[in-house]
Amino acid sequence: MSAPPTPAEALVAVEDVHTFYGKSHVLHGVSLCVGRGEVVGLLGRNGVGKSTTLKTIMGLLGPSRGKVLFEGQAITGLPAHKLARMGIAYVPEDRRIFKLLTVMENLRTGLDRRGVTEARKQELLDKLFAYFPRLAERRSQAGGTLSGGEQQMLAIARAMMLEPKIILLDEPTEGLMPRMVSQIKEIVEVLHRDGVAILLVEQNVPLTLEACQRVYFMEKGVVRHHALASELTVDDAVVHQYLGV
Amino acid sequence: MSKRSNKSFWIAFGIVLAALIIAPLVLPEFWRRFLTEILIWGLLAMSSDLLIGYTGMVSFGHSAFFGLGMYGAAAALLTVKPANLWLAILYGLCGSAVVAGFVAFFATRLRDIYFAITTLIFSQIFYVVIFTWTEVTGGENGLNFTRPQLGIPGIYTVTFTPEILHWFVLAVVTASYLILRRITHSPFGMVLQSIRENESRTRAIGYPVERYKIVAVMLSGLFAGLAGVLYAVQNRFAAPDFVYFVVSGEAVIYNVMGGIGTLVGPILGAGFFLGLREISSRIFGDQFPYLIPVGVIFIAMVIFLPQGLLGFAKRWLNR
Amino acid sequence: MSAMGDWIGFVWGWLATHGDIIIIQTVNGIVTGMILALIASGLTLIFGIMDVVNFAHGELFMLGAYVGVVVLSISGSFWLALVLSTLVVALIGAALQITTLRPLVGRDPLNTILATFGISLVLQNYALWQFGPVPRKLDEPITGQFVLFYLAYPWYRLLIALLSGAIIGGLYLFLKHGTYGIWIRATTQDRVMAQAMGIPVPWVHTGVFAIGAGMAAASGVLFGPLIGINHAMGLDWVLKAFIVVVVGGMGNLGGSIAASIFVSLLEAYAAIVVSPAQAVIVSFVVLILTLLFRPTGLFVPTPK
Repeated sequence: MSAPPTPAEALVAVEDVHTFYGKSHVLHGVSLCVGRGEVVGLLGRNGVGKSTTLKTIMGLLGPSRGKVLFEGQAITGLPAHKLARMGIAYVPEDRRIFKLLTVMENLRTGLDRRGVTEARKQELLDKLFAYFPRLAERRSQAGGTLSGGEQQMLAIARAMMLEPKIILLDEPTEGLMPRMVSQIKEIVEVLHRDGVAILLVEQNVPLTLEACQRVYFMEKGVVRHHALASELTVDDAVVHQYLGV
Repeated sequence: MSKRSNKSFWIAFGIVLAALIIAPLVLPEFWRRFLTEILIWGLLAMSSDLLIGYTGMVSFGHSAFFGLGMYGAAAALLTVKPANLWLAILYGLCGSAVVAGFVAFFATRLRDIYFAITTLIFSQIFYVVIFTWTEVTGGENGLNFTRPQLGIPGIYTVTFTPEILHWFVLAVVTASYLILRRITHSPFGMVLQSIRENESRTRAIGYPVERYKIVAVMLSGLFAGLAGVLYAVQNRFAAPDFVYFVVSGEAVIYNVMGGIGTLVGPILGAGFFLGLREISSRIFGDQFPYLIPVGVIFIAMVIFLPQGLLGFAKRWLNR
Repeated sequence: MSAMGDWIGFVWGWLATHGDIIIIQTVNGIVTGMILALIASGLTLIFGIMDVVNFAHGELFMLGAYVGVVVLSISGSFWLALVLSTLVVALIGAALQITTLRPLVGRDPLNTILATFGISLVLQNYALWQFGPVPRKLDEPITGQFVLFYLAYPWYRLLIALLSGAIIGGLYLFLKHGTYGIWIRATTQDRVMAQAMGIPVPWVHTGVFAIGAGMAAASGVLFGPLIGINHAMGLDWVLKAFIVVVVGGMGNLGGSIAASIFVSLLEAYAAIVVSPAQAVIVSFVVLILTLLFRPTGLFVPTPK
């Protein structure tokens, strides 16, 4: 099995990135790329550095070596808020919605940007509430009072308010009921149709293989393998090698 | 610590000590007094280093220990005739021990910022009491007394000359340093340092962390009180200004300037601070508030030189 | 039982004969409490959002009063002095935050305490150098009085309480509504996530520090006419503000305001029996009890 073709023009490119978490060396030279509008999966066991990779791209952790490119431009060392404004959105593993803010205020953290007209804001909200009617119902409720699944919806919805070019999605289905999991998959498909690229970190292999075009496998802080999702099956030897217990 | 660096430490220690012994014989009166004062403030700073540098607790209340040491000494020197130096030290240590016990009992239950604020508030309580209890403490004016003689009553006594005072202070500070050094190198000191590094793990291993902290605060308070006694003997007064929390803040400044967790660093820091004060008053005149330039330098050091002068020097030497 | 009855009788008798002074002290307590609340809400806002215990807060209060004195002497208008002083000190606060606190982000909180302590030394001594040790007087804008029992009570004191309340109310509305309020609240709750949502967190910090500084300055100008203005006036207030911020629950705005009034009332009542200098000890005792029995603060819901 040969390495699959990578997109000619990468939206996000990670090149030989080394990152420390405190004193421990977590990433040992990670390289990967995501093309425009492409959905890419990042698989691996717990603690291999998948979340750290996302945090490094988002500018929340500074790499000690290597660089991150966004639309061909080096973004290493830029603060996260600038990256968010450039079009990178982040949905962390533990959701981290603002619990004391209402649903609407949570959305406004991403929506109230310079250059967004009131009409455009309304348009975005209307579109969003069409996808997530539950959030529309609860718009003036505090984020902390939502259920786990609703909080995950809100975390994704909040990221969408930035009108990002790419969303870094960290284990969105973790701890959710099956019904919610299929809803998350639908959202990923909708985002894909809208042309938003996604870098998806997941433990759920079937979902990842269905939702993604390409998949990277990580082990001990480096990318070990890289394949087209269509060429893999859930029972593949590769999948077992990197994810089997 | 390796044998070789241990040896070079004692050589350096001997050289510095010798220089400090000879200093009063060659220095003019003003600088002799200045040096004695540095040693006293250095002792105060060193005592608070036991908490800041070794246990990870920042005390903003060391003025209370220092001040009670002063007032304790004053009590002995004013009530007992003839005035006895050793009794002054004993009273001063008792005074600071009482305060330290009180602070230790309450404040050690709290951590970080809460500990800092609580110690600050405690020292202010003692300040208010001393300031308003005029009949006993002399209130705002404080208490004046004469300096006692040095010696063993009935056997041998000598009157304090500036040189002898300097040597006496030097002896006390050196002894305190050696004791504190011994403490920080002992198993007890190791537990304190492990509290600083990770309090919950230290507790999980089975050490009664609270008890260790209480002892640490008590010890620190005693040495601060000793500094207070020395200052009272040197200056022949006790005043509420020295219980005020600004003194505690200065003790913390000495630590940061010199380098926390080094014991010698704080003395160096005291010297640096007092030196800066002296230089600035020479340059800008007596009327100029020296704390403006000193404060700016202090802020710059917090930002750019967090390991202090000694830490910086060590790193530079090891390069 | 009869001893108990005697005791109750004595307390009632005392209250009946001292009713007037209790009411006067209640009014005094509320007035001081509102000023304190104005200082403390800035302090608690700063702590809540950036974990900075601002030792220099009292000096910003002091600086506000001095700027007020200067503007009043030039323009003759107290209200202009109030507004200008708030703005000037807010700008100074922003500059201080950018130069000394921003480089310390991510370091041990001890470093920020030390840095603000340094700032406090510098500002205090600057004021001493610039304005001298003789206290300055700030004239109140209205001099009318009304009779409260045997006392001629100045209307101005009531106006202080009202204005402080209005400023705090304004702060509340600012935080509750509008984009910047959302930014501040989001940053307070989760600094990292706020930044990932595109909120310019370093500037939010600067802005909040400026707001806190401005509020301290406003309280300095408002309270100035009641006391002599000198370089050391901030010390007492910053200590009191620390106390109410801890008693109210660090970072909890509503709690700080409630604690300000609570502590000021207690001190005012204590001042009936002991001298005002000693009455301060009451607030120390409240703090110690709070720390021992309810370290998260008196005026916060019990954590689950």
